Amino acid sequence: MIEEGDLLGATAHTRGVADRIASVGMLDYLILVPTLRCNLSCSYCQVSRVAETRQGFDWSEETLAAVLTMLDRLETPRLKIEFQGGEPTLRPDLIRAVIERCARFEQVEFVVCTNLQHIDDEIIAIFDRPDVFISTSLDGDAATHSRNRTGTFEVTNAFFANLRSLTDRHGPRKISALPTIDPTSPPEIDDLIDAYVTLGLDSIFLRPINYQGFARKRHATSREQDDGWRGYYERFVRRLIERNWSDRGRVLEETYLSIALRRIFQPGLERHVDLRNPNPMRVDYIVVDHDGTVYPTDEARMLARSGVVDLAIGSVTDGWNGPARELLNTGVTNQFDPDCMRCAFQPFCGRDVVDDLARYGRMDLPRRETDFCRRHLHLFDFAFELIYSDDEAVRHSLGRWLRIPGTPSVFGERLS
Amino acid sequence: MIELIRPATADAERPYVTRLRSTASAFDPHDAVLIDGDAEGGLFSGAFGIVAIEGIPPGQLEGEVVLVDPARRRIERLLRADSTTNTLLVTERCDQLCVMCSQPPKKTHVDRFDLLERACLLAPEGMLIGISGGEPTLYKERLLTLMERTLSTRADLSFHVLTNGQHFTAADIQRLGAPEYRRVSWGIPLYSTEPALHDLLVGKDGAFAQLEEGLSHLAMAGARVELRTVVMNDNVGGLPALAGYVSSRLRFVEAWSIMQLEHVGFAKNRWPALFFDHSERFGPIAEALDRALLHGVRAQLFNFPRCTVPAAYRSLAIASISDWKRKFAPACSDCREQTKCSGFFEWHPDEEARVTVRPL
Repeated sequence: MIEEGDLLGATAHTRGVADRIASVGMLDYLILVPTLRCNLSCSYCQVSRVAETRQGFDWSEETLAAVLTMLDRLETPRLKIEFQGGEPTLRPDLIRAVIERCARFEQVEFVVCTNLQHIDDEIIAIFDRPDVFISTSLDGDAATHSRNRTGTFEVTNAFFANLRSLTDRHGPRKISALPTIDPTSPPEIDDLIDAYVTLGLDSIFLRPINYQGFARKRHATSREQDDGWRGYYERFVRRLIERNWSDRGRVLEETYLSIALRRIFQPGLERHVDLRNPNPMRVDYIVVDHDGTVYPTDEARMLARSGVVDLAIGSVTDGWNGPARELLNTGVTNQFDPDCMRCAFQPFCGRDVVDDLARYGRMDLPRRETDFCRRHLHLFDFAFELIYSDDEAVRHSLGRWLRIPGTPSVFGERLS
Repeated sequence: MIELIRPATADAERPYVTRLRSTASAFDPHDAVLIDGDAEGGLFSGAFGIVAIEGIPPGQLEGEVVLVDPARRRIERLLRADSTTNTLLVTERCDQLCVMCSQPPKKTHVDRFDLLERACLLAPEGMLIGISGGEPTLYKERLLTLMERTLSTRADLSFHVLTNGQHFTAADIQRLGAPEYRRVSWGIPLYSTEPALHDLLVGKDGAFAQLEEGLSHLAMAGARVELRTVVMNDNVGGLPALAGYVSSRLRFVEAWSIMQLEHVGFAKNRWPALFFDHSERFGPIAEALDRALLHGVRAQLFNFPRCTVPAAYRSLAIASISDWKRKFAPACSDCREQTKCSGFFEWHPDEEARVTVRPL
C-alpha cells in the first residue's frame, strides 16, 4: 500500500512496474535446424522428424551460405546458438561451419540439442570445445526411456553409455537433460529422480508431452493437462524437497518452478523466453529451419510442420519482415488482457500466443480457457503455497532454488 | 600505508595541478617532467615551474596527478596511476554529524573545484574517480559542473560520489538523467528504518525524511545508487527490517553495502559503545543479506575480513579497503583468500586484528 504523500513509495512502485516489463534487445539468440532427419522415432516427436535416410531435409549449400552471411551481419557482441533438429549431429560439418564463423564474437555459446544416440570422434571434437554445451532427453530409467524413445535394448544401452561417458569426460555442468513425461503413464518419481542424480544432473525440467508434431495424433490427450498431471507435478516437487532436506549437500530442482520463483522474487533477473512479458517475436531470437524458412519460435516451426498454421515470417535468404510477425506481436503482453489484469499473478506471468495457436488454432480465447493460463495459475498457486509454508524443509529448498546463501525465516510478508 | 601527502618545494606562487612524467615523450603543457632524482625524491619541471618532491622515489610517481601547494610546501597525490581507488576531497563541511564519522567535518570550506577539475581532466585512462567530503553536494552546482565537464570531455572516466543524499530536489531529476550520469554512482548512507534512530545516528533532525525524498528523486532520474549501512550496536538489530525496506522501497539501488566500522575519527573514541562484533554473532547480518538477496538486491559486505564471515556468506565479503589504507595481520600471509579480502584499516588496533584472524 502506498500512503498519501509517500513520494518514495510511489516512485518505488513505478520502478517496480517498469522492472517487470521485459526489455528486449537486439538479435542475439538463434535456433538453427541444420537437418530434420533423425535416427530415432519417438511417438511424441514434437517436430515431426523425418527418417535418417531421407533426401532434401538438410540445409542446402545456399541455405548454409545465407546462415553464415546472417552471422556476419549480426550486431551483437554476445551470441547464443542452439542447434535443433532432427538430430543435428547427423551433420557435424554444418555445426562446425557455423561455429567457425562465430570466432569474431566477444562471447558465444553453442548448445547442441541431441539424442546422444551416436557419437564418433568428429562429434566428440565438437563437444570438447569449452563453448559448446549439450542438451539431451532423458525420460527416466532405462525402461521408461526405452518405451518412450529408443525402443530396443541395444539402442537404449548405446544412449546411456554415451551419456555416461560424456558426464564422466566433462562433468555435469556441460550437459543438461530434460524428460518428456507421458502423463497417462508417468514414471515412478524416485526412479526418474535417480536417473538424473546418478549422472550428477541436479536440475530436472519436468515437462508433459508437448502437443505438437506427432504427439497431436499419437498422444491426443496431451492437448490439455488435467489434475492428474498437476498432482504428479506437485508430488515430484515435494519429493525433491524431501530429498534436499535429507541430503543437505545436494540441491535438486525442478527447473521451471525455479524460474517461476525467480520471476516472483527477482524481477528483471530471469529472462526465460517462455515466461517473459511482453514477449515480442522475431526481435532478439529466431529459428532457421532445415529449408531456410525463418520462424519466430521453435513451436511456430512445429506448428507449420504439422500443417496447423504457417507462422513462417520469411527465409534466411530473403529476410524475415513478413506481415505475420506484426499480427503475432499484437498479442504478446498480458498487461492489458482483461483476465490477466484481474489476476494476482499477472506481474510474474507471461503470454505465449504460439502455445494458444497450437492447442486451439486461435489466439483470442479468454485467457482462463487456455491451457497456458491454467498451467500457470496452478504453478503460481503451488509456488505461493510453498512460499508461505512454515515447513523448514520447504524453506530450505526455496532458499537454494532462489540461489541465496542462507534460509530466511520468512519468504513472504503476511499482511496481518 | 601509502602516504598521500609528501613534502615539496615549488617556485610557483599559487597552487596548481600537474601530471608527473619521467620522460617527455609526448609533451603536454600540463605535465611536469623529471629532470633529476634519486631514491629520496625527484625534481620535476613543467609549465608552472619547478617542484622538488621529497620522501618518495620518483619512479613511484609516474603518471600521477598531483596538487602542488607551494605555500604549504607539499604535494597532494590526487590520482595515483597504479591505484584503483583515488578519492578527491571536495569540501570538509558537512550538514550531518554522524556518530561514527571517519573524517569529522570542519566549519570552513576551501574551494578547490577548479584545481580538482583540472586533475580529473588529466586522469589516467579509464579511471573511476571517487569524490568525498564532508558533504560534496553542499556545493552541488560546482560538483555537478565539474563532473559534467569531465565526463563530456573524457568518455573513459567515471565517478563515485559519497553523499548524504540530503540535497537533491525535483529540479535535479532531468539533469541527473542525462547520459553522462550513467558514469556516476552515488554512495549514500542509510542506517535504520526508524526515522528517529537514523536521525540520531547522523546527528540531524529530519535527515531520514529528507533522505527518502532525495532517493526518490535519484530513482526517478535513473541514477545509480550504492546504498551504504555501517553496522553498529545501535542499528544491528534493525538490519533485517532495513533489508525488507530496501527490498520494497529501494530495489532500484545498484548495490547495498553493509559496512563494518572504521577505527578512526569519531568511532575511535566511541569504539566500545559502537562496535558490533559480527564474528561473535552474525545472525542479524545473515538475515539481512538473505532478505536482500532474495529480492534481487545486490547486497555485499565491506570491511569484513573474510575469515570472520561464515562460509556461506564469504563470497559477499569483498576487498573493500583501499590499498593505501589497508593492512593485514601477520598470520594473514598464510591465508589463501588474502587477495580477495578486505583486510583491516591501517588504523585498526594491531592486537585486535591479531586475535581476530583465522587464516583460511
